Amino acid sequence: MKGADLKLVMLGKRFGGNAGQTEALRDVNLEIRGGEFVTIVGPSGCGKSTLLSLVAGLEEPTTGWVAMDGHRVHGPGADRIVVFQDAALFPWLDVTGNVEFGLRVAGVPRKDRQQRVLEHLEMVQLEKFAHARVHELSGGMKQRVALARALVLRPRVLLMDEPFAALDVQIREEMQSVVQDLWVRSGTTTLFVTHDVREAAVLGDRIVVLSHRPGTVSAILENGARRPRTLNDAGVAEAIRRSNEILKAEVQWSSNQPKMQL
Amino acid sequence: MVEQPAQDAAVKRRRERSLAWEFRHLIPMVAIAISAIAIWELIFRSGVWGFLFPGPSQVARALVDFWNSTRLVRAIVATLRRLAVGFLISLVLGALLAFLMVRFTTFGKGIQPYILGLQIFPSIAWVPLSLIWFGFSETTLLFVTIIGSVFGVSISFADALRTVPPVYLQAARNMGSDGMDLILRVTVPAALPHLISAAKVGWSFAWRSLIGAEIIFATVGLGFLLNASASVPDIAGVMGVMLVILVIGIVVDQLAFTKTQEWASRRRGLRPRR
Repeated sequence: MKGADLKLVMLGKRFGGNAGQTEALRDVNLEIRGGEFVTIVGPSGCGKSTLLSLVAGLEEPTTGWVAMDGHRVHGPGADRIVVFQDAALFPWLDVTGNVEFGLRVAGVPRKDRQQRVLEHLEMVQLEKFAHARVHELSGGMKQRVALARALVLRPRVLLMDEPFAALDVQIREEMQSVVQDLWVRSGTTTLFVTHDVREAAVLGDRIVVLSHRPGTVSAILENGARRPRTLNDAGVAEAIRRSNEILKAEVQWSSNQPKMQL
Repeated sequence: MVEQPAQDAAVKRRRERSLAWEFRHLIPMVAIAISAIAIWELIFRSGVWGFLFPGPSQVARALVDFWNSTRLVRAIVATLRRLAVGFLISLVLGALLAFLMVRFTTFGKGIQPYILGLQIFPSIAWVPLSLIWFGFSETTLLFVTIIGSVFGVSISFADALRTVPPVYLQAARNMGSDGMDLILRVTVPAALPHLISAAKVGWSFAWRSLIGAEIIFATVGLGFLLNASASVPDIAGVMGVMLVILVIGIVVDQLAFTKTQEWASRRRGLRPRR
């Protein structure tokens, strides 16, 4: 199935009551073509994760809206699946139980379920760990399970929330190539949030740079490098340099501003 | 095949060792029990309390007499049946209340202090009112058991449900789970180790309330037997029944709760294998 077109229109989100509100996002406009891989990079606290929650429908926007294939999104749905930073696997289930969770919820018959689970465990090379318990897995393996758990539902949009931030450098690079692979195979629209500019430059067809609180779109960079990309490609290096420039200007600008109390 | 016997012996020795290994955690427990009985016997032999303090052998004889007259068995069956029914009802009601408290946070905040108060409220103090309402009946015993434990159960169930990491609920909602499906598929299994400890707290409340109520008015049951022995007075009998109540408490706790809790925790790698 082809990935869905996504449109974020004047998207904004405030948290908290009337006193002491924080504005996480303001007026974010973004159009993503079906099947595109877009990375979102920005300093911590710039509302990147909030952006994903809004697309996932786990939170409702304060202003604006999200549209998928031209239809406004309301509430969560299995067509937009999030991969969380700490994988958020269920420790009371084994690997298979985790991967088939969404299929069970959807009432997919047992036979179908088994086949799809096996297929996706093979995709992330964990078929030997089908009955391992979550606590027996390494960090990288957990994220592979989380990817299988997401893709088994054939989502039209995959939302990744700093999924590799807690992994060692080598494992992270390995996982980056796994994700590119799976993205090519599944053709799903992917929004990948990271605070690591290098990761954003390797993975994204476009790189969206968000500003610090409230998060707004500072720049959108087209990534010139061809896939499969590595950190050493000239195009990637250029994308890293440009993103860093924008981020630096951003940080300087915000540190020159007087502290505002909202 | 010269080595065969030696090999067999080695296998046998290993098996024996593993059996001893299996029960080794009971050794300190048994040692403590033996020492306690020995100290008890010593105090008895010193004779400081005279006939007011029977020794282990006299208590054992009293228990054998109870057993032979079937009074003990009937008492245990009656009490455990009341406990099972009362505690089950209390679990169901407590779970409902806990769910409401967690689901509707304002309601939960408002009612929490009162439930805490009722949890602390001595369950025996419910007996006079329940006697007026339900008379000298099984209903009264059940009522006191339930009312004595339901608040403790609901408070600790609510605490258990609140331990569920929000990210599990987010992930599950994201995959299409919702409402009752979400509760059964995620909330309950995620909270399971804590729910078991909560049930454990609840059962101890139920057990105490029931024995207390039985002492006041029952016509069959361990509490009744305790009271009846005291009015004879059959001091060895009193101590024997007390011992039975103690042992039932230990056995239920170890078998029903500690074991299941270990199992639930081990499955998710929270505690190393023993």
